[in-house]
Amino acid sequence: MLTLVLGGAASGKSAYAESLVLKTGLPRYYLATMQVWDAECAARVEKHRKMRAQKQFETLECPLHLDRLALPGRGTVLLEDLGNLVANELYSPGGAGKHTAEAVLTGLERLAAGCDNLIVVSNEVFSGGADYAGDTDQYLLALAQVNNAFAARADNVCRVVCGLPVYYKGGEKL
Amino acid sequence: MMFITGPLYSGKRTFARNFRGSVIADVQDAAAETQTPEQLETLARELAEYDIVIATEVGGGVVPMDAEERAGREAAGRLACLLAERADCVVQMFCGIPTVLKGELPQC
Repeated sequence: MLTLVLGGAASGKSAYAESLVLKTGLPRYYLATMQVWDAECAARVEKHRKMRAQKQFETLECPLHLDRLALPGRGTVLLEDLGNLVANELYSPGGAGKHTAEAVLTGLERLAAGCDNLIVVSNEVFSGGADYAGDTDQYLLALAQVNNAFAARADNVCRVVCGLPVYYKGGEKL
Repeated sequence: MMFITGPLYSGKRTFARNFRGSVIADVQDAAAETQTPEQLETLARELAEYDIVIATEVGGGVVPMDAEERAGREAAGRLACLLAERADCVVQMFCGIPTVLKGELPQC
C-alpha cells in the first residue's frame, strides 16, 4: 500500500502519518531526510524524535541517495519528507542536481518494491505565489514532479488541514 | 466553537456571517506573537471561548528565508491544529465554497 500525506507548515501531517503507521505491524522504519546544520534544524529533529518515541520505529538516516538505501527488512516505511530530500538532492554536492526528480522517483519505486506499506510525507509549498527566481523555481518544479508522479502511483493521497485528513484518492484503510 | 480556515480572501468572514455568535478573525497573527508552546495552548483555550474563530492559512508557501517569519507560520499552523481539536465543527473555505472537515454546521 502506497500512501502520500501532504500538508503545509505545521499542518499536523507528521502526526497524522505516524498515526497511520501505528495501524500497521512491525517492523517500522523511519527514513529521516533532514540534514542538521543549525540549532533550528536540531530542534526540529528533536521534536520529531519525541513524537516518535515509544512508537517502535527504527530510524534510518537518508538525506541523499534514496535509490541506494538498503532496508533491513520488509514492513512499514515512513519517509519524511520529500521537501527535504528534493532540496538535498538538488543543492548538495554529490546530489542528483538537475536529475533530482528522476532520482527521487527511482528511489521511491525501489522502496515501494522493498516494503509492505510505504507512507511518504511531502510538503505543500505551492500556494504562496507563482513568480520565483531560478533556484527556488527549480526546486518547486522538482518537488511538484515528485509529488504528482507519486500521487499517480499511490493508493491513497491525503492532504492534512489543521490536523484533519482530507482524502483526494483512496481512503484510510491501512 | 466553529473553526473556519482557508486561504486569504477565500470567503471566510462572509461565510461566518451566516451564523450567530461571537466572532474573532485573523488569529494567525496572534499565534505569531506567542513565544512558547504553553502560550500557544493558552491562546487556543481562550480563543475556543468564541463561537466562531477564523484563521487564514499561511503555511502553504515556500519556506521563508526569515527565521521570524518561519516561526510565525509554524505557530499559526500549530494553533490551527489546536483549534481544530477543540472545535465542534471545522470548515475550510476555497473560493467562497465551504467544505466541512469535522462535525456539522451549527444551525443558522
